Amino acid sequence: MTAGSATPAATTAPEVPPPAIRVRGLRKVFGSTVAVSGVDLDVPAGAVLGVLGPNGSGKTTMIRMLLALSRPTAGTVELLGAPMPAAAGAVLPHVGALVEGPGFHPFLSGRENLRRCAAAEPLLSTRAIPDAVQRALSRVGLTGAAERRYRAYSLGMKQRLGLAAALLVPRRLVILDEPTNGLDPAGTRDVRTIIAELHASGATVLVSSHLLAEIEATCTHVAVLDHGSLIAAGPLAALLDGEAPALEVRTPDSATAVQALRAAGIDVAICPAGVRVELAGTDPPTVVALLVGAGVAVHEVQRRRTELDELFAQLTGGHSQ
Amino acid sequence: MTTTGDGYRTTLSGPVRAPLGRLVRSELRWVLRRPRTQIVLGILALIPVLMGFGIVATGSPGGSGLLTQIAGNGLVLPVAALSISLALLLPLAVTMAAADALAGESAHGTLRGLLLAPVSRTRLVLVKAVGVLAVAVAAVASVAVLGIVTGVVLVGPSGTAHGMLTLSGTEIGPGSALLRVSLAAAWTVGQLAAVGAVALAVSSATEHPLVVLAAVLGGLIVFGVLSAIPALDWLQPLLLTTGWFAITDVLRDPLPLHGLASTSLRAACYLLIGLALALARTATREA
Repeated sequence: MTAGSATPAATTAPEVPPPAIRVRGLRKVFGSTVAVSGVDLDVPAGAVLGVLGPNGSGKTTMIRMLLALSRPTAGTVELLGAPMPAAAGAVLPHVGALVEGPGFHPFLSGRENLRRCAAAEPLLSTRAIPDAVQRALSRVGLTGAAERRYRAYSLGMKQRLGLAAALLVPRRLVILDEPTNGLDPAGTRDVRTIIAELHASGATVLVSSHLLAEIEATCTHVAVLDHGSLIAAGPLAALLDGEAPALEVRTPDSATAVQALRAAGIDVAICPAGVRVELAGTDPPTVVALLVGAGVAVHEVQRRRTELDELFAQLTGGHSQ
Repeated sequence: MTTTGDGYRTTLSGPVRAPLGRLVRSELRWVLRRPRTQIVLGILALIPVLMGFGIVATGSPGGSGLLTQIAGNGLVLPVAALSISLALLLPLAVTMAAADALAGESAHGTLRGLLLAPVSRTRLVLVKAVGVLAVAVAAVASVAVLGIVTGVVLVGPSGTAHGMLTLSGTEIGPGSALLRVSLAAAWTVGQLAAVGAVALAVSSATEHPLVVLAAVLGGLIVFGVLSAIPALDWLQPLLLTTGWFAITDVLRDPLPLHGLASTSLRAACYLLIGLALALARTATREA
């Protein structure tokens, strides 16, 4: 990531490409339920944005509004620099999406289903359709099951076919709503590979998930939704480094350990397993040397990075009450 | 980064659309390959065959005048079969197609795919309307063609061997008899197009295909009930089903056009209203 990620709140310098997604004041109300409220979001071109949030946090509702499947109660959406839904005819051909699970006809084979999708793709010439369908099928590993009826597909195969439909045409923006739902570990790996390939080809990717490991493994940017509000957004690295790292030492001699470390001016606290050492101004070898020097029995030392799931728990935990 | 940025500007110059012909072909393929469409078409084709065999086997049924005619008059069979199927089975076939067209696609999640491609919402409704019309044509064709074949095989073109004996007692040649049958078929397609457009309007407002079937077929039954109540005579001109018996006019000589024309005009009104509602509802539909 280059300049784009450094300034997510896009300033309008003329040579900077428009953000792939730009959302202002997005709000959606169903009856008395506020599904999405006041979301402002900029996704720089080329980024892989992970949208995190517990079930019912408004991820899918937001995505549906991005794609003009649903009309916002208030707010504006720009995709690839053009306003939605006004410019849908120009924008959507460049956008691939898998929203709310795969949707296909049960009585048609996987290949037939994709051909039907392909027939509606403006950027595909009629002659290019069979090849595009074949490429998409092999990209998601469905070549062997292409002639089977969709009805007979497993949940994972259905999900793969949905992914294939999003990848029928080279896209500038790919939006994947819970793409690894129902996939086995190999399938999850395949999705990561596909996202990495899309990223390498310069496409912008938005992937929503409630599986945090997935986001951490594939994304450059993260947005966290909770109860319809965006409670954190930015480059992944920046969010992860937001908190100081710590070291967790498993030991039965926690009192001695605290004494020894405090004497050396290191911030330390007792935790169930032993002690938790803040790594501000020191490093693990120093800490371990101090402890061993003080005669503390060190059973295990673990670096506690502020992992995304911890961050996620912190972010959503505070707001869910 | 900047090159992709420039790329956006150049390729996003204007809307691009898939060729309309390709969309229509894809729709027709999907509609006609659908197992339930094929089953309904098969059942419809059986109707004139069963009617033909039934009437020939029993000699003279002594029922309606029309059915009695069939016994000695092969080309009456397709018209009689169309008239009987129009009461329920043909509207059922068309309504099923319309129910699947928008509500069914929505239920399967495939409507989203089409809108995301994107297919504009107006085009979507028009392409769907073509699909429904195709089912109407196929349904009428299977009844008419099997009716002609069964009639000719079982009875011969006419009891008199010269042509068709009309209800008015005159004879017309086999050529113009076929023309009469085609007229009946075309008129039936027109009535079904009206049913289909209304069904499409209902289909655009729900994601449950069953609701469409219930609403449209229920509506037809209610129309039948209303037209049977003398106090509600003034309603007659508004009901689509009023004058559906006019199809037997094609068996009269000289051909009275008034009934066929006025029912067709009424069907055209229903068609326009149905399509307009479907377009309006789809334009704001959340998919």
